[in-house]
Amino acid sequence: MGFDADKTAAIHAELHSHLPSDPALRVKALESLWIERGWVARETIDNWVEAYSERIGPKRGAEVVAKAWVDPGFRERLLADAGAPVRELGYGGHATGHLKAVENSASAHHLVVCTLCSCYPFAILGMSPIWYRSSAYRARAVKEPRAVLDEFGVTLPEDVGVTVWDSTAELRYLVVPERPAGTEGWDEARLAALVTRNSMIGTERDLKVDL
Amino acid sequence: MDGPHDLGGQDGLGPVDVDAPEFRHDWERRMWAISQTDTFPGGGSIDAWRHTLEHMVPEHYRSAPYFEKWCMQHMCIAVRDCGAGVDDMVARASDAAVMPQTPADTPVMGADYVETRVAQKDVSFARDVDQPPAFAVGDRVVTLETSHPGHTRLPAFARGATGEIIAHHGGHAYPDASAEGEERGEHLYTVRFAARDLWAEADARDVVCLDLWEPYLVSP
Repeated sequence: MGFDADKTAAIHAELHSHLPSDPALRVKALESLWIERGWVARETIDNWVEAYSERIGPKRGAEVVAKAWVDPGFRERLLADAGAPVRELGYGGHATGHLKAVENSASAHHLVVCTLCSCYPFAILGMSPIWYRSSAYRARAVKEPRAVLDEFGVTLPEDVGVTVWDSTAELRYLVVPERPAGTEGWDEARLAALVTRNSMIGTERDLKVDL
Repeated sequence: MDGPHDLGGQDGLGPVDVDAPEFRHDWERRMWAISQTDTFPGGGSIDAWRHTLEHMVPEHYRSAPYFEKWCMQHMCIAVRDCGAGVDDMVARASDAAVMPQTPADTPVMGADYVETRVAQKDVSFARDVDQPPAFAVGDRVVTLETSHPGHTRLPAFARGATGEIIAHHGGHAYPDASAEGEERGEHLYTVRFAARDLWAEADARDVVCLDLWEPYLVSP
């Protein structure tokens, strides 16, 4: 079979030059074809738009992180191979077939990017933020992570090294942020509420505790 | 391929829009839904899908919002693989075009389908490989200096660079072959590079890790 690169590029060029420039109209055209061909029902699209952000989101990842903080056995298994323990919680799914958890510490900070597209562990973090998919983040996170972190308001202590994970394969990354001081004895639910989406991508470091 | 998608390390793109939400427009949400819920027959493997996106008009790739790229990718595949016409797509994009009714035999999925569908996509890319791994954890390796015109997951910034293998993941579907319609496993490794070995001006404290297949790597 093989991939017909010339044909693909020619179709892209033709579509781009003839379609109206408004992306809303382009997606309308796509939706129209998809519905007419029976590839998706209009009502399914409506239902998905309505339900996705409610049901799939970073609360799942936050629950995983909080469990790792309180349960040393779970933490060990999570760091060894994150796929299985995440599946045990019922959160396995889209783009978490292969999952690696990387843990921040007093001397290590982790930051996740996908320079070639926008790979992201959807099943545990939900839809990625626009900045994660932006050219600026994809270009700069690998080359100048500290400057990018500074834009997010993160200043690293002098002795902290940054590890940037570029998601080049079907392996996705989850950053386990440090458990904040002053949370001793908290239960998992209370701890999970502290864990932000950005802290699990690595663009936030010190989680805020409202006492 | 050397394409507009290979962004790692490029300069001049300005600050990161750190407060950006997940979606700004309803059409972005609808594009996301279409891409996740359909029973669309074309496109091939995930790597062939990505390779189709990489062939967008380069200046458009650079300027388009993310989900417009997905729209162009889907549309291109519909034309290339499923007999859709460019003129027909243009007509459907007109302000005046009326959205068709859902055909009676198209199943309608309810809100619970979101969780079912997301769980269904827990897919393994592990594949058997006949030969044993050429490298082991701790080995120094050098990445290829050149690329090829097809799909590849060795970014330009990491070509011709020396790093250390820190993990071996067994055989995984090899994207360069998969994009061409050939399912083949190759050993996959995580390779750690000192940031300074990729960019002279990088911070000496920092490292960059990439997941790279064995054909991308040679011994120093």
